[in-house]
Amino acid sequence: MVDSHDAPAAGLSGEAGSEGSEVTVADTGGEERVWRAGKLEPMPIRPLPDAPPSIHLLGPTVFLLALGVGMGESYMWPRLVLVFGPEIRWLFLIGVTLQAVVMLEMARYAMATGESIFTGAARVFKPIMWFFFVTAILVYMWPGHLSAGMSALEQLTGIPWVVSACVVLILVGILFSLASVIYDVLEKILGFLIGVLVVGTAIIASIAGSWGDLTSTLSGMFAFGYLPDGMMSAEWFPIVVGSIAFAGPSGMQQMWYTLHLRESGAGMGAHVPKIRSLRTSGEQEKIPAHGFMFDTSNPDEMAKWRGWRRWITFDAFLLFWGITMLVTISFTVLAQSAARENPNVKTIIENGDRSAALQAMSDSFASVGGSVLGGLFFGFIAMIGINATLGLFDSFSRGQADMTFFHFPGAKRFKMSHLYAGFLWGVITFGILILLFGPADGPEGILDILAFLSTFAMGAYCVVLLLVNNRMLPKPIRPKWWSNAIIGFGAVFYLGMLFYCMIRFGVVDLG
Amino acid sequence: MRRLFLLTLPGLAVGFLAGVLAGGLTAIVGQSVDAALVAALALGVPLALMGGGYTMLLINRKVRLGGFAPVALYWLIGFPLARLLHELILTWYVGGTPTLPPDTLGFLAFQGIISAGFAIGFLWLHERVAPYWWRRLAETDADARAVYSRYAEYATVMFEARERRRASRGQRPGTSGKAASRAR
Repeated sequence: MVDSHDAPAAGLSGEAGSEGSEVTVADTGGEERVWRAGKLEPMPIRPLPDAPPSIHLLGPTVFLLALGVGMGESYMWPRLVLVFGPEIRWLFLIGVTLQAVVMLEMARYAMATGESIFTGAARVFKPIMWFFFVTAILVYMWPGHLSAGMSALEQLTGIPWVVSACVVLILVGILFSLASVIYDVLEKILGFLIGVLVVGTAIIASIAGSWGDLTSTLSGMFAFGYLPDGMMSAEWFPIVVGSIAFAGPSGMQQMWYTLHLRESGAGMGAHVPKIRSLRTSGEQEKIPAHGFMFDTSNPDEMAKWRGWRRWITFDAFLLFWGITMLVTISFTVLAQSAARENPNVKTIIENGDRSAALQAMSDSFASVGGSVLGGLFFGFIAMIGINATLGLFDSFSRGQADMTFFHFPGAKRFKMSHLYAGFLWGVITFGILILLFGPADGPEGILDILAFLSTFAMGAYCVVLLLVNNRMLPKPIRPKWWSNAIIGFGAVFYLGMLFYCMIRFGVVDLG
Repeated sequence: MRRLFLLTLPGLAVGFLAGVLAGGLTAIVGQSVDAALVAALALGVPLALMGGGYTMLLINRKVRLGGFAPVALYWLIGFPLARLLHELILTWYVGGTPTLPPDTLGFLAFQGIISAGFAIGFLWLHERVAPYWWRRLAETDADARAVYSRYAEYATVMFEARERRRASRGQRPGTSGKAASRAR
């Protein structure tokens, strides 16, 4: 290995392994420029593909929406609005905007290297990546996330939710095992479901809501600094903080987004083959042991990079931010409308029993719009649950397979598709056993630990983002100061609030 | 007429399904099947016609493929009109006289704001359905061929880029790309 012929595109620290540097390596085929980041294998320099027009590559955001638009948007925030008034929504605005910036920064590393953020973390310090590996298993192996959606389905069809949850688990496993390229199939299904969810909630809100509901919901987003007295209590403060943290994607969902970006061929992810299903694993192309970097000293390549950044900014702010806002505004308008029609709904929602609250909202809509509107409301809740399950199982399996394949000694003798299938069927089997014989959310004794880990992971990934993007990428494509400041704020907010709630109120479950 | 119907089917279908599924069904209050049908069609048909109109604009190159601003502007007008018609037909069917909603301007403004959300969902679904449909029609219809070719141009660029990447993956390290030649 020899020093680079060219001036390095990134600052050379002179200490290979501590910070990124560009060098030229000699191998049997000649010399090749590589980007060296951390102690893992260097990334060869390859051409950056052209960026697509904004709307034509919707894929990866679909997954983040499927995972992110969940109970927070459809239940937790409408509840807070009924308790504290629409002015509380300025905190939601901050939470979702913070998540949009996190999404942009996650995408920076994934699009520049074709590597997941997990590998980025491993380049900084491998134990960080193993922390996320263990956290993912502990937090996401429990099938509790299915309960809300399947309970809604039970209200609609009368089928016991445990039965439908088991059936959904098996169907998901079969679907992901038989599809040729898992990502393509899942993207189509989720894309359709989210499209229906968006037009459907918009129309229902347009019928059930009113100008007054909407203006109060919208103007509440700009009531910066509104902090009602009751909010600072031990009862509500952890819930408010949790609702801000879980506005949009929560836990490790943003980290998994980097895997979907790579799989969709965004940026340098185009150089990494897609994961095949179990059925077509024979066609799995060989996955390289490292990511790739583009030539950041080349103005043409940098122009393409700016194109990719424009594309991802459109995705983050119009699609992710816009759709998350739209769904939560619609559900808030619906909750206000339901509470106006039936004052009992307000009391039930405030009491915090989620199933009772959803049932009360459904009943209220049925009273004004007919039983079908009530059913339709449950239909959308069930759809949100199924979206989340599809996204979660794929993401979990993809993330664990990625970390195992690249970083577990000897794992490369397996195909990536086999590792993916192993984790997928592992979590499905465990999920069915737990649904039938155990507590769906996890054993009582460790529930607090799981809740703690979920929020802690969010603070941790902000720190990882700062380290990875500022140390492992060439200088011309590192984040701007303001972006670092926002991510830094995120780290302080997630970790600070978590520890504050733990010390001040003795509460770690912010969900 | 049949040709126009087929050509604009993506927008017609997305608008109609959205209207019937979410809107029409909501107006059934334990009423008869024909009342439910009127309620469903009162929103489904206007949204379908508006959706078909958007598709027509796309075919005639009046709006760009996949652009959000034009579709948002289009539905800013179209969605409140469709909802107003929906309300008029329902009140006419139920009460015998078409009646404007109370505070009609406020009603229209509310629908105008909600239209932005509807526009995102409409575009999202339209862009997923339309290219496949026009590919089917392309063999027999010149307009479908023309609009499909605009999608295909983009797809070709993507396909060629993918092929180039595959080829470069197959090459030995150091033998591809500008960077490698500079290194030598």
